[in-house]
Amino acid sequence: MDTVENAEDVQSDESEYEEIAHTAAEVLELMEEAWLNEKFAPEILPHKYDIVECLLGQISHVEENLTNVGNDDLRRSLHQMELDRLRYLVSSYLRMRLEKIETYVYFILKQEEERSQKGEENYLNKNELEFAKAYMQSLDQHFTDRLHFWPGNIPTEWKNQLIIPNIHSFVFMKAKNEIEGVMVSHVNEEEEVVDLRTGSQILISYSNVGHFIKTNQSCLI
Amino acid sequence: MYGESACSLVKELDRNRGTLPPYNNELIGEVEKEICHLIQQNVADDFKAHEDSNVGAGLDYTATIRTRHAIIQRNLRCLLAYHYNRLRCLRTMRWEFGSILPPDIKVNLSHAESNWFSKYSSMLATYMRSIGDDGGVNLTIDLNPPKALYIEVKCLVDYGQYELSDGSLVLLKESNRYFLPRAECEDLIRQGVFQHIIN
Repeated sequence: MDTVENAEDVQSDESEYEEIAHTAAEVLELMEEAWLNEKFAPEILPHKYDIVECLLGQISHVEENLTNVGNDDLRRSLHQMELDRLRYLVSSYLRMRLEKIETYVYFILKQEEERSQKGEENYLNKNELEFAKAYMQSLDQHFTDRLHFWPGNIPTEWKNQLIIPNIHSFVFMKAKNEIEGVMVSHVNEEEEVVDLRTGSQILISYSNVGHFIKTNQSCLI
Repeated sequence: MYGESACSLVKELDRNRGTLPPYNNELIGEVEKEICHLIQQNVADDFKAHEDSNVGAGLDYTATIRTRHAIIQRNLRCLLAYHYNRLRCLRTMRWEFGSILPPDIKVNLSHAESNWFSKYSSMLATYMRSIGDDGGVNLTIDLNPPKALYIEVKCLVDYGQYELSDGSLVLLKESNRYFLPRAECEDLIRQGVFQHIIN
């Protein structure tokens, strides 16, 4: 938890920015949680672009402040290090999302379409959606080009064999609130109901708890 | 035997995990020929079956046609798997080497694959530009969690002058050691100009 402590350094260092620095620590915590959730969840989660953009704003803000600090100042290298950490956090988060989008592109786009038909919130950000569409189109193009030798109609059945995330994989989960009635399914089709107390941790199949992550009642660790 | 060349295509993939062997035009041609041949036979048999059924008697072609169809499907799947996995590999290389591939990898690509690569590069660039408010974020740096601000690197080639992001110039010479900001080195390390020295 180095990063959190360091964020507080920023706070005490620059008292004039105390107001911003305080929210920065909170933003960081949210970002870290989103990052961990995304890292351990097998499927793509609703995007957290508001946090990302807020943190990016903070980064450029601190960068601006740093230009006023001398090159050989100790504070400079401390803050620079901190900035590097933050930048890693953000880019790693976005990279992981991109990787998931690329791997499950057909599946994700299909789900997104169903979501917009139902009027639900999209999981992908607008830019991500554009990227996903462009990526899928490039794959389609590449494959159809390759199949031009085919006599007659080019087969398209392969599009039905989607690569889908394994949502039954096991994850470590920590409950943020009191959660009652978590269904735990067993191999032999039996179901058990468990109540989770605040802060309790459990190793469980993602399919049982995915919706708690999305509704922010629990997080993955 | 039917399906053999498709199988060796997939085996080739499996043997060369994480690397891109030359695009196997020859084997792919064989698979394509086999598919075409089988489809032609199926069409011919289908035609014959129709004729026979009009006459009222004749052989039952269903089993043969079904077997051929299964082979065609399998060949198709192997073919697509081969191409898909090469693209995935190419994608990893985009992240490793940036938008310009080293020449020894470039020769192994088919024409369509080079096209795809540049398309992927540009869509990735568009996406990275769109993040945040000011000019986007380069996602291809900061690949590993940062440990220290400066790292020690050894220069492997005579690179010449290199400009750091604060505007100062460094002359990079072969087998010299430098102590530079990590963010500046990352790209050069991946390009093979620097070697990261880990104590």
